[in-house]
Amino acid sequence: MLDTLKTLCYLSGASGYEDEVRDYILERVMPYSDGIITDAMGNLIVTKKGKKQSDNKILICAHMDEVGIIITGIDDDGYLRFDFLGGIDRRVIIGKHIYIGKDRIHGVIGIKAYHHVSKEEEKSVPKREDMYIDIGAKSKDEAKELVSLGDAGVFEDSVLEFGNGFLKAKAIDDRVGCAAMIKLIESELPCDCTFAFTVQEEIGTRGARIVSSRLNPDTAIVLEGTTAADLPDVPEGKRICNLGDGLVIPFMDKGTVYSRELYKTLTELADKNGIKWQTKTMIAGGTDASVIQRGGTGADTIAIAAPVRNIHSPASIAKISDFEAMPHLAMLLLEELSEK
Amino acid sequence: MLLKEMIIDLCGLPAPSGFEEKVFDRVKELLSPFVDEITTDAMGNLIALKKCGKPNAKKLMFDAHMDEIGMIVTGIEKGFLRFSNIGGIDPRMLPAREIKVLTDPPILGVIDTLPPHALSDEDMDKSIDAKKLFIDVGLSEDEAKKRVPLGTPAVFTGGAEELTDNVVCGKSLDDRSCVAIIIKVMEYLSAKDLNVDVYCLISTQEELGTRGAITGTYGINPDYAIALDVTFASTPDSKKSETLEMRKGAAIGIGPNMNRSIANALISTAEEKEIPYQLEVMGGSSGTDGWVIQVCREGVITGVVSLPIKYMHSPVETMDICDAEAIVRLLTEFTVKLDKDFIS
Repeated sequence: MLDTLKTLCYLSGASGYEDEVRDYILERVMPYSDGIITDAMGNLIVTKKGKKQSDNKILICAHMDEVGIIITGIDDDGYLRFDFLGGIDRRVIIGKHIYIGKDRIHGVIGIKAYHHVSKEEEKSVPKREDMYIDIGAKSKDEAKELVSLGDAGVFEDSVLEFGNGFLKAKAIDDRVGCAAMIKLIESELPCDCTFAFTVQEEIGTRGARIVSSRLNPDTAIVLEGTTAADLPDVPEGKRICNLGDGLVIPFMDKGTVYSRELYKTLTELADKNGIKWQTKTMIAGGTDASVIQRGGTGADTIAIAAPVRNIHSPASIAKISDFEAMPHLAMLLLEELSEK
Repeated sequence: MLLKEMIIDLCGLPAPSGFEEKVFDRVKELLSPFVDEITTDAMGNLIALKKCGKPNAKKLMFDAHMDEIGMIVTGIEKGFLRFSNIGGIDPRMLPAREIKVLTDPPILGVIDTLPPHALSDEDMDKSIDAKKLFIDVGLSEDEAKKRVPLGTPAVFTGGAEELTDNVVCGKSLDDRSCVAIIIKVMEYLSAKDLNVDVYCLISTQEELGTRGAITGTYGINPDYAIALDVTFASTPDSKKSETLEMRKGAAIGIGPNMNRSIANALISTAEEKEIPYQLEVMGGSSGTDGWVIQVCREGVITGVVSLPIKYMHSPVETMDICDAEAIVRLLTEFTVKLDKDFIS
């Protein structure tokens, strides 16, 4: 799963521009699936038969898209202006590398020399509309040859293991869920399942909405990356979750009150099988679960997430031992569900 | 080696002020074919000499600093590293920044940032005080203490690379670009008949207040000196009045820190040889080693030549090779012409 995740994190897939990620996943799951659809928005829906048929229609879901930028303008002197695709904290993008479009045009988000920054100015963060990307173009014409309005860009693409079993990459949210789903699809399943690799989660769970309408599942399992704020200065109550403490099984976030029954089942399964787990200690964030739970006539919904530091940044961090258990725990739940 | 390749080569090495050994060794290797001797001093400066072989020759000194801005580990809390800056770093470019922690071998660190979830909208508009930031090395308290002793320095990860043709972007172009320029000038001068002995002072600790140049210049005791450093090129968020332009050539310093005689000689060389140049007028300190070189011992006739770069002191400093090439030509031609009559 680690190697799959590394490959997935490297690929570009800002919200609305998930093609590269979808193409890769399609190739990986094709030999193991019993049916594949790419829908009107670009969601990839994969069905796979299990050992037995079940009246319980099960959907497993992870989003392919990542936060990024979209080019909105080109200055006369060749600098690019941009807007965000998804929730980006503009404090994490200053002086960072950006790769734009299919040709991965390399640019950097510049900032004036520190020598010209006043003490007052230093305390505030430049507004997004004042920021710009430098691709080394000398003029508007040169820039236009390389980049078009509407091109999407993603962050720094190096994927590195470091420290005691940690992974640094962009887009761990939610390629980690995609990697776990690929692993599940490659395995023998206890019952029939549908897997949705969704688009546009980061701009408001847009893809999952139509997946839910199409499938109207009874039970849904969302696989995600979730924010961890486990830094030394942060008080216990604001840490949300901790890297190294295992998978996150949430009872509630900003978008969803998860099925209490599935929460109980899942946490008991984890305990029984010696899988480390924790829950979110702060009601924060949201996932595709919100629209799947309330799509059609509704679905019993639960999530399994990997804790991620610096989540929507070019240098997000996850602990390998945390997320490697994700497909195993999901499989245990599928087995349990298939017994019903 | 092409100038561009040499700049990229040197930018790939880490050398925060006070910890410059790696760059010292590489510069020594690159410079040695073109000079007669290379020595050092107590501050760790690299001092190279190319003799002209003529009696009572005057001494010309080129200066550029080998150090870069960086960080130094000052504490460990729950396995995360507290740090202080080495030189001027805008704290706004630190969150979610990748860091090379210079243990042996170096390890990756990431400066962690709090997620928006834990912050108010107001907080999001405010920069984070560097004192509140940590480097995450993915180690437990015990492991971190064992592997990362206090006082371990660190730099931004990566080196430099080309964005588009001849536009080079990366860390420590300040001042490796000028170190490479000096090496290239010495290569060209090695085949020339000169009237001066040429010294190179590749100095240390400039970013902490031009410290290496104080002893380096004292030891060399030059008659003439030219300090080479980077200057500010215009960017969309900077004032035109505070910046020069990229691709307009060598920036020749004018003002009290630069003796007018040497500035005039540089300008006349550029005019005569049709080398692109621009003037950089500075009322007080040039902000370069030139400031301490000029008042060393009984005084040194000092000039400052600068390379315009964008986003100075960031990991994405950006330059155009054409400006660096202009400086190489300017200094080469200047040195060839330099004799008792040229500067008066």
